[in-house]
Amino acid sequence: MTPVAAGMDIGSTTAKCILLRGSEVVGKSLNPVGVDIVRDAERAFELALADAHLERADVGFVTGTGYGRYKVQFGQLAVTEISCHAKGANFLFPKTHLVVDIGGQDTKAIKVGDLGEVVDFAMNDKCAAGTGRFLEVCANALGFDIGDIGPLSLQARHPVKVSSTCTVFAESEVTSLVSRGKERNDILAGLHGSIVNRSLSLMQRVGIEAEVTFTGGVSRNEGMVRAMESRLGQRVNVSPLSQYIGAIGAALMGQERLEAAAQ
Amino acid sequence: MSETSATSDAPAAEAGFLRDGRELQRRMVEEYYTRLASAGGEKRPVAYAFVGGNLTEILRSFGYEVVFPEIVALNCAIKHKSLDNILHAESMGYGLDVCGYVKNDIGLQDQGGTTPFGRIPRPDLLVCSFSGCYVYVKWWEALSELYGAPMVTYDVPYLRSATPWKEDIDYLVAQLWEFIHDLEKRTGRTFDLAELKRVLAESRRAEEGWVRYLESGKRRPSPIEAYFEAIFYMFPINVLRGTREAADFYDIVNAEVDQRTKDGVGPVPEEKVRLVVEGVPPYTNYRTFWDFFRKWGAVSVAATYPKVGGLFDRGFLHDPARPLESIAEYSLGAYVNQSWPLRRKLIESYVKDYQADAVLIHGIKSCRSFTAGQGDLRDWLTHDLGIPTLYIESDHEDPRYFAPAQIKNRMDAFFESLEHRRAVGPARAGVPA
Repeated sequence: MTPVAAGMDIGSTTAKCILLRGSEVVGKSLNPVGVDIVRDAERAFELALADAHLERADVGFVTGTGYGRYKVQFGQLAVTEISCHAKGANFLFPKTHLVVDIGGQDTKAIKVGDLGEVVDFAMNDKCAAGTGRFLEVCANALGFDIGDIGPLSLQARHPVKVSSTCTVFAESEVTSLVSRGKERNDILAGLHGSIVNRSLSLMQRVGIEAEVTFTGGVSRNEGMVRAMESRLGQRVNVSPLSQYIGAIGAALMGQERLEAAAQ
Repeated sequence: MSETSATSDAPAAEAGFLRDGRELQRRMVEEYYTRLASAGGEKRPVAYAFVGGNLTEILRSFGYEVVFPEIVALNCAIKHKSLDNILHAESMGYGLDVCGYVKNDIGLQDQGGTTPFGRIPRPDLLVCSFSGCYVYVKWWEALSELYGAPMVTYDVPYLRSATPWKEDIDYLVAQLWEFIHDLEKRTGRTFDLAELKRVLAESRRAEEGWVRYLESGKRRPSPIEAYFEAIFYMFPINVLRGTREAADFYDIVNAEVDQRTKDGVGPVPEEKVRLVVEGVPPYTNYRTFWDFFRKWGAVSVAATYPKVGGLFDRGFLHDPARPLESIAEYSLGAYVNQSWPLRRKLIESYVKDYQADAVLIHGIKSCRSFTAGQGDLRDWLTHDLGIPTLYIESDHEDPRYFAPAQIKNRMDAFFESLEHRRAVGPARAGVPA
C-alpha cells in the first residue's frame, strides 16, 4: 500500500495536520496553538491519525512547516510555509501562479512556478498589521464572533474608509468609528477592504497573475474573499481545504522524499 | 528532528576560518581605543569625522587623533550596548525614527562617553564630511552644542555620473584648501605637503591591499566572507587609514587568504550559494544573522557595505602624486554618495564579476540615505535581470527591530527556492534565465 505522508503546519494561531496517501487526503486535524507548541503539534498529529483511523506506524514521513516547524519533534524534515503554500496551492490548483496567504500573524504573496516551486515572494514586515489577528481584535471590539464578521461585512450599505491596519490600535480605531455613529457592518466592510489593500500591494510586488489562490485562515472569511475579488477584478481560488494548504504542501514534500527513497 | 543542517534551527558552529587577521584586527581595535583614552587638548587634539568621504589623511598630517562616532556606535551595537544608549537618547527626546547611530552617540556622550572598550574623548573639532547622508549635519550640530566644539562642513555633492565632474572636483579642492588653512590657524602648524603625501602613500598601500582582499571573493569557492568577515577588516581601512599599521595589516590578511585557498578553507565547509549582499548589517545580532547564511552554505562573495568608506575597488584611490584631487575624487565616490543608477550598475557588475547566484538586501529602519530605493532595487534585479533577490529589514543599531523568527523564515524560504532552482534549472523553475 502507498505509504502515508504527514504534513504538520504549526502556525502562530493553529496547528494543522494533513495525512496524504497519493493524492488523497485520508485524515486532517486543526487545533489551537498555546504555549506548549511541542504538545500542540503532537496533539494535531494524534487527531489526524484518529480521523484517518491510522496508527503512527502507518505514516512513512512527517514534514513540519510554519513558525513552529522545529517543534515537530517526531518529524524528519522542516520546510518553510512559504515553500509549502506554493506546493499545496499548485497541488489543488495546478494553473495558479500567485498565492496570497493571510494567516494569524502575517501575510504573504507568493509567485509560484509550474512545478509548485517558489519563484518570488513578499511578506508584510514584522508587525501583524492587516492579518488574521487584526480581524480578531476588530471582531471583539465590535462584539462579534470571528466566524460571523465575513458575512456581516457583505451586508454593508455604506462601507467606511479605514486606512489603518494596526492591530495594536485596532480597538481604538473601531471604537472611534462606532462613536461617530457608523454602522457596524459598514465598519466591518471598511476593515476588510483595508486588509485587502495591504495584501494587494504585496501581490503587486511579485506580480498579479491570471489565476490567484487565496490561502490561510483568513481565506475562510467570505467577506475577505469577495473584497479581494472586487479589488482584483477577478475570481480567486479558495479551496475548502484552504486553511490546510501549507500542511498539504508539507505532506507533498514528504511524499517526494518517500518516492526518492523507494527508487 | 533528523534533517539537513539547512533546516535545523540549532546555531551553526563559530566560523573557525578566521585566524591571524582577525586576531590582529582585534588587537588594533584595542590599541586604538586605549590610545584614544588619553587623547585631547592641544598636544593630541581630537577630531570627530564621518566614515564616508572623510578627511582623515589631512587631519593626521596636522597631528589629530580621529574618532569615528559611527564606528564607536557599531562597536557598541556588536557588544549589545547600543540599546542602553538609544533608550537614553529617547529619554532626552529623540524620536523613534531618528537614526540609531545618532541616538547611540548622543546617548553615549550624554552619559560620559564610557564604553566597554574604552572612554571616547571629547572632540576638539567636528569635521562634517557631508557625503551621502543628510542627517550628518544635524548630528554634528547637536554634538557641537553639547561640547561647545567648533564644527566645519565639507560639502560633497552627490555623484551622478561614473566619472566625477571637473566642476565638483574643483569645488571640493577649493574647500580642502580652506580646510587646510583653517587647521593651520587652529593648530598653529604649517601645512606640510610632504607629510600629507607620506600619509597618502600609506593610505594607497592599505587601499590596494584591501581591494586585493575583497577581490579574492571572485575565487571559487570563495576563501573570504565579503560581508561578515569584511566587517572586521573595515576597521583598519576606515579608522587607521594613512598609518603603516593599516597598510601592513592587509599584507598579513592577504597572506592568510592565499593560504586558505591553498588549504581549501573557506567560510563554510561547502559553498552552495554565492551572494552579493547590499545594505548595512544588523550589528546587534551579527552572529545570529551570519548563522542564517551558514546553515545553507551561503557565502557573501561581494558586498556593498564594506565600500561605505570608499569605493576603492572601482578606482577611487588616494594618490600621493595628486593629493587634494584624489581626496576629492575619493569623497565623491563613497558608496552612499552615489546615485541609485550608479549603485544599481555596481551591484549588477558584482553579480557578474563574482559569479553570484543571488542578491540579498538588508534594509535598515534607521537610514533612509542607504535604504530608500532598495525596494526598487529588488524589483529591478528580480523582474528585469532575473536575479533572485531577497529583501529583509531590521536595523544596524536598534535590536528592537530585529525579529529573528521572521527574518530566518524569509531567508530559509529564499534559500529553499534557490535550492529548487538549482535542482531543476532556471528555465524549469519558471524564472528568467
